Amino acid sequence: MAPLAIRLARRLALTLFVLWGAATLAFAGMRLVPGDPARIIAGGVQANATPEVLDAIRDQYGLREPVGVQYVLFLGRLLRADLGGSYQLGRPVSSVIGEQLGSTLSLATGAAVLGFCLAVALALLTAGRPRARAISRVLEFCSISTPNFWIGILLLAAFSFRLRWFPVLGDEGAAALVLPCAALALPIAGVLAQVTREGLERALDQPFALTARSRGATENRIRARHALRHAALPVLTLSGWVLGELLAGTVVVETVFARQGLGHVVVAAVRGRDFPVVTGVVVLSALTFSLINIGLDLLYGLVDPRVREAAA
Amino acid sequence: MTAPASYGPAALPRLRVGAAQAGVALAAAFFALVCLAALAPGLFAHGPDQVNPALALRDPMPGHPLGTDQLGRDVLARLVFGARPSLLVGVGSTLLAGLAGSAWGLLAALGGRLVGEAAMRLADVLLSFPAILMALLVVAVLGPGTRNAVLAITVALAPGFARVVRAQALVVRGSAYVRAAVNLGLTPGRILLRHIAPNVVAPLLILATINVGTALIAGASLCFLGLGPQPPAPEWGAMLAQARDYLDASWTLALFPGAAITLTVMSATVVGRALQARYEGREAG
Amino acid sequence: MSLSDDTATRVDDGPVRKRRSLRSRRPAVLGAVLAVIAVAAVVLVVSAGGGDERPAVRAAGGGPVAGGTLTYALAGTQVSLDPAVAATAVTGLIDRNIFDSLVAQTGPDTFAPWLATKWTVSGDGKTYTFTLREGVTFHDGTPFTAEAVKASLDHVVDPATKSAYAASLIAPYEKSRVVSDHVVEVTLKRPFTPFLQALSVPYLGIQSPAALAKPVADYRPVGTGPFSYVSWEKDKRVTLRKNAGYASPPAGASHEGAAYLDTLVFEFVPEDATRWGALTSGQVQAIAGVPPVNAGKLRSLPGFALNSQETPGLNYNLYLNQTRGPLRDVRVRRALSAAVNVEELVRNIYFGHFPVARNPLSRTTASYDPTAESELASYDPDAARRLLDEAGWTKTDADGYRVKDGKTLTLVWPYWAEGNKEQRDVLAEGIQAQAKQVGIKIERPAVDTGAFVAKYLIGGGYDLVDVSFARPTPDVLRFAFASGNTYAKAGGNVALVDSPQIDRWVEEAAETSDPATADKDYAAVQREVLRQAYVLPLYTPVQLTAFSAKVRGVAFDAQTYPVFHGAWLGD
Repeated sequence: MAPLAIRLARRLALTLFVLWGAATLAFAGMRLVPGDPARIIAGGVQANATPEVLDAIRDQYGLREPVGVQYVLFLGRLLRADLGGSYQLGRPVSSVIGEQLGSTLSLATGAAVLGFCLAVALALLTAGRPRARAISRVLEFCSISTPNFWIGILLLAAFSFRLRWFPVLGDEGAAALVLPCAALALPIAGVLAQVTREGLERALDQPFALTARSRGATENRIRARHALRHAALPVLTLSGWVLGELLAGTVVVETVFARQGLGHVVVAAVRGRDFPVVTGVVVLSALTFSLINIGLDLLYGLVDPRVREAAA
Repeated sequence: MTAPASYGPAALPRLRVGAAQAGVALAAAFFALVCLAALAPGLFAHGPDQVNPALALRDPMPGHPLGTDQLGRDVLARLVFGARPSLLVGVGSTLLAGLAGSAWGLLAALGGRLVGEAAMRLADVLLSFPAILMALLVVAVLGPGTRNAVLAITVALAPGFARVVRAQALVVRGSAYVRAAVNLGLTPGRILLRHIAPNVVAPLLILATINVGTALIAGASLCFLGLGPQPPAPEWGAMLAQARDYLDASWTLALFPGAAITLTVMSATVVGRALQARYEGREAG
Repeated sequence: MSLSDDTATRVDDGPVRKRRSLRSRRPAVLGAVLAVIAVAAVVLVVSAGGGDERPAVRAAGGGPVAGGTLTYALAGTQVSLDPAVAATAVTGLIDRNIFDSLVAQTGPDTFAPWLATKWTVSGDGKTYTFTLREGVTFHDGTPFTAEAVKASLDHVVDPATKSAYAASLIAPYEKSRVVSDHVVEVTLKRPFTPFLQALSVPYLGIQSPAALAKPVADYRPVGTGPFSYVSWEKDKRVTLRKNAGYASPPAGASHEGAAYLDTLVFEFVPEDATRWGALTSGQVQAIAGVPPVNAGKLRSLPGFALNSQETPGLNYNLYLNQTRGPLRDVRVRRALSAAVNVEELVRNIYFGHFPVARNPLSRTTASYDPTAESELASYDPDAARRLLDEAGWTKTDADGYRVKDGKTLTLVWPYWAEGNKEQRDVLAEGIQAQAKQVGIKIERPAVDTGAFVAKYLIGGGYDLVDVSFARPTPDVLRFAFASGNTYAKAGGNVALVDSPQIDRWVEEAAETSDPATADKDYAAVQREVLRQAYVLPLYTPVQLTAFSAKVRGVAFDAQTYPVFHGAWLGD
């Protein structure tokens, strides 16, 4: 157990370092931007703020302090999980993120489930069958090379506008999730299918598969109960990447389908130079990814005993 | 990827290999065509900015083989002239990332323990969240535009390259001939230039060619979000964003730029994988 | 020999062939079953999903039925709930349902009683006495009295409110005096003919004094209108509820008493295509800003109706900063105006739905002068080239742009992406391309709000800027062309016009009570603006609103706001 605990502690320390690095990068980015956030906060074009009002805003947001002081205050707020107030929306960043998180999570989860199911089904069906595999390979290659927002636009044009099967205003209900999830899942499913199939084929050629067959197990049973477990390893390794692609993909897919969500929020924040929001999302995603990677590492150890022993 | 196992008559494998070679040749030709369009668009079409409102949103017709957009501009001309900004953001950023990543990775491998650690921790931080968020952060700081989009994707890709280069450089550093060169008393600079760098460059190039696809898609995504080259510059991702507003009226507008991106990515990847197979084959055999 | 690298565990071809024949069909069957289940699930989900409308209570006779929710999708978003503070069109549209005004505008120049039953103006034009309607209460129970009028007007001009637009509408306001519970006397610093028109807009709607007394952070809009405020989900929607005790419809309203609809929801959907799709799929019952490319389709789609309203006020114009760079020369300004084929661009981009503008003022505004357009530098690229030659821009560079003294003829036109609507960016691209034909280079730097306001609107670093402004009174000419009304001072003079002549005309027109003098003055302004090419008029914004056939009884007032008081949902 002890080596595991040490590994865990090291990883956590690394995570903290990564978080600090991400926060510092975001802060540095904020300071590098020329321009005056006070005016954005005051309400943009419609509100002709007087200099007194602008000064009051600057005081409120601490924009007049020297950079070093601002940095320390910024870190302090972060430690208390206070991400500051959005310039554009005038609300705490944490509440903005909290509201939009659910929508993005359901999109990402739906796409992940769809992607994995598609990949596993495809791999199971085509492993070891040359012609089917060749066709599948071509399809997978196509889906990997296609930008997910183009898939989204085509799906939108065909199924929402022309055939009216799915709603266009993409927020409420499960029906609105179908097309965005499909657009997001297809490129990812392509990669996963290839990796799963390779792992499956490799496993099917192992001596244990021969033994199982000689004992009379059906092909189906061998694939599902024995080989799939071995194929799970490379898939697990890829899971970190998959998650990254999913969350990155939500940014464009939410724009295509006009859905609410973090992606939408981030794009609006980048366009409007709303740094508290950008920082909040950056820090949050750094945290999420680090934690997930740690979790995957542990899971890897669970699934494959060889790794556990190697680490010991 | 492993090549398919051969079943059946002996003639098939050769046919398979021939077909594969033909495929690679086709891909290389297409990619070369796109690069040529990027360098000299005037050879293929003209007038991407020719506004002709009376002919807006038409389907393919004589004189406009791919139809017209919302201002009556020829879609084919805009596609051809769009190759340059699209490739600039996709391929240009990969090249820059390769250069920056190499320098970074070499520094990390050869610069001593402290520098190496610091460089790698920095890479870890940058790699700790997805590339597009990194790119968005850069654009948030610098503002939209072609140059900034290229920088953004470079920053997103460089840490990955740095890691690969560092790993390779470490391997090479520990190899026999480098140790021999050190014993012979050659200067570090000479060792670096004549021995380490060449052995690192080849895998880097392969990695870069394979990553061009990723960079192209990431670049197109940024431009789709309106953060790349600004109108009226024709760029494939930006054209898709405009097409989205006219989905009901003309879906062909959305078809062609997306196809251009996809086909370019596919051809670049095929070429890259072929190079990789060639290189690995040479190494092994 | 196989090409796989798993040589260690590879079995040779014989058993592999046998294995193939032993291969069970089950995986294929399994896959097929999964696929069928997936398709079935999708079909179920699709059929289950759909719009959810609360059924309206059926009344006998097929007349208006009470009940139901109407969702109205529009572009833009609320910036602030207080009409005195926010100046966006969206706020006006939503607040028109929450607040009543003192008077109602019934035509370009006529006004009818609303919360004020009658009014008199003193001889010197500086004092207005309003007799107020009795028996009216605010949504929070406060009775409507002269006190409320005084509180609302004082609130608008109070520096603490930071009102820019609403305060500019009643700039000469001095004070109000409560004469009795239902009589209020308003005093102005100088005579101001547009005062009644200002009082009729939703931005000067009468607010409950109790609501105004609350701290700013707790502000909720409370008025006397047919709908009361329920909630605001920022960037998503505003929800209003029927005011059961509504007792103050203006003259000419469809009926007395409360509205028919239970709930009115304003949904913010900035994407044109999405709004359109939401209407055609039944997710919303009405949309504002129908994309012109889709408007023609509505005629062939059963179950929908299109409503088209030309917006009075200033047209969507391109303003030429005459204090800066090449545009200081009137010949260059007129050359730019002559280079652009506005008619062809506007007619095609907007599919004929937006009228081409040939005057800074829209033709449905009072004092519109149809003869002024003779001063406009119409499309004539040869004349444009000649003018540029005369102005000294005779050489051209390699790209075809004109050069003088080593500098290219470049005009800066900032692109504020967040403010883009009605495909104005597409129109701008067209203008850019046509200007290039005569050798003028137009640069469009993309800017965020902060930079747009600070560097350009206030800093003045632009040559061209585009705005439209809707207000059904020719007084907008003062807003846009009087020298003192720069953007920094909450005005609309973005062409930075500084003409004592124009100043004199608009001031005189605002003070005079003689309509003929006002007409003459405003006509002179229109002609001068076009002669000097301070603007390039582009199009008259048209409110294209589409309704599902279920929606009945929606009217549009003289200010082109939709009136939902008489609206109801049928079958």
